[in-house]
Amino acid sequence: MPERVKILTVDWDKPESWSLSTYKASGGWRALPKALKMQPQQIVDEVMKSNLRGRGGAGFPTAMKWNFVRKETSFPKYLVVNGDEGEPGTFKDREVLLRSPHRMLEGLVIGCYALECHLTYVYCRGEFRKTAAVRLQQAIDEAYREGYLGKNILGSGFDLDARVVIGAGAYICGEETAMLESIEGRKGYPRLKPPFPANAGGGLFKQPTAVNNVETLANLPTIVEKGGEWFANVGVPKNGGTRLFAVSGHVNKPGVHEAPMGTTFRVLLDEYCGGMRGGKKLKAIIPGGASSAIMTAEEAEWASDYDTLKAKKTMAGSGAVVYFDEDTNMAFALANVMKFFAHESCGQCTPCREGTAWLSRLLDKICAGRGEKVDVDNVHQIARQMEAKTICALADGAAMPAYSFIEKFRADFDALVRG
Amino acid sequence: MIALSKKAGEVPSPFDAEQQRRFDEGLDKAVAKYPPDRRRASLLAVLHLAQDELGWISEPTMAYVAFRLDVPPVRVREVSTFYTMYRKHPVGRHHIGVCNSVSCWAMGSERILRHCAERLGIQPGQVTPDGQFSLEEVACLASCGTAPAVLHNNFDYFESVTPDSIDDLISRLRGEPGQKMAPGGHPNVPAPKR
Repeated sequence: MPERVKILTVDWDKPESWSLSTYKASGGWRALPKALKMQPQQIVDEVMKSNLRGRGGAGFPTAMKWNFVRKETSFPKYLVVNGDEGEPGTFKDREVLLRSPHRMLEGLVIGCYALECHLTYVYCRGEFRKTAAVRLQQAIDEAYREGYLGKNILGSGFDLDARVVIGAGAYICGEETAMLESIEGRKGYPRLKPPFPANAGGGLFKQPTAVNNVETLANLPTIVEKGGEWFANVGVPKNGGTRLFAVSGHVNKPGVHEAPMGTTFRVLLDEYCGGMRGGKKLKAIIPGGASSAIMTAEEAEWASDYDTLKAKKTMAGSGAVVYFDEDTNMAFALANVMKFFAHESCGQCTPCREGTAWLSRLLDKICAGRGEKVDVDNVHQIARQMEAKTICALADGAAMPAYSFIEKFRADFDALVRG
Repeated sequence: MIALSKKAGEVPSPFDAEQQRRFDEGLDKAVAKYPPDRRRASLLAVLHLAQDELGWISEPTMAYVAFRLDVPPVRVREVSTFYTMYRKHPVGRHHIGVCNSVSCWAMGSERILRHCAERLGIQPGQVTPDGQFSLEEVACLASCGTAPAVLHNNFDYFESVTPDSIDDLISRLRGEPGQKMAPGGHPNVPAPKR
């Protein structure tokens, strides 16, 4: 087997991989001095060449987002890091923060320099308060001591302060505008767009703001050091680099596996995760977190990049892959997923608040053996009607599994209902 | 915004002297994370600090936090009822959260929840009569590769749990004092969203 390219996980198996000394020993904090000698726009152009796309879920080209912010003339500008990892199946950002917080931090300083931002917030979900957020704060303290943060960073004249803020248990705060509301000390209601966060009036404290995922930023030191072209060549067209696949479910080796963008789900399963547990047959795959459309075992040959999966009417999302074996009843699995969305809907928009709760009730009824065929049809129809009618994407994220589970695993539902 | 809370006058503190010292120290740090004209933005952090001391967020605590941050009381209520980690009623000194989301479900979290309920003799949402334990289902903890996962007192992870490791955990916790829990309850506070 050819040697696997590692960008984000190079240090993960080393002792105290989170410490400054480990990161420096493997060449860390060397990209920052190089970046500080470049013009900010040069960095953005290099990121553009790298085809780096946001690893949080939407897969938006990072450099394009940054250019929106750079075009704005209103200062101060902010960069906010999304560490509110909450999508069921996703656990990669937690690992980045626990195992190599300095890599993310170096990327963050480079990003802030590129955006001419002098105050940045890292938003960690509340449950990380005594674990991942502590590691991150330690790394920030070390970076201040070394002069990578604070006033006049490495003598460049560039100032930056980094602050960690903590959520309190709300999936919706992973949505970027809900996160901004939460950082401002309010409940996490997503904002109506436009204005988008990148624009004046739409970001943190109404200032132009880039919101980037933890994993996205951790790629930047490598892009600055090895160049955008090198990074782009690791992945597939328009999808540069590697990706942290957070694999869970019925596999032999669950965990975070770094693989090039576009790696097929079959290769990911067989070569990275040691195949299915107990020699069972694969039945279904969640390709990008609970809100992505389900895939069948035959579809495991699909490539995992953003564009392929979008064309196949599902999504690469947050890179959370869940493999289910043949013993799994997909109707029960969907009922579980829908209970999550009904619980986490913020309640602002009626189609989502009522729709997710309605779907959850119907699916519970079906799973309890009290359903009829029409209930299955209703789940499908309600899900279709929830799409594209709300302020944020939570409703679409609840609808996608609902109708795709039924379309691809109808037999599991029909076996539970009368008529 | 009109500073309703300050206008209403001094609000009594729910803390004892030691708690007050820690709370004040934490509040100063939380406020310092924001630009000087944005101190209200530290509300989430300050509610965490209050809960650290008292175990839950009571009506008088909400009023006091509103007073200290000069935030309208309604906004404190809004925030403390929106986010699930803030408790609106006393829970056990050891609060056990069992993840029920899809990866943990696939790895048998329903069995873990049933096992916890049997061992503790309570259902999710209940507190043991001695006030030592409470149980609830929680949403995805970002611990899917080490499913099933359990959370103790909001922040401590226990991963790849089995019924046996749950037994060990419970018997160990039984001997520990756990989180201090302010007494009381308030008739007008709605039960938490479950």
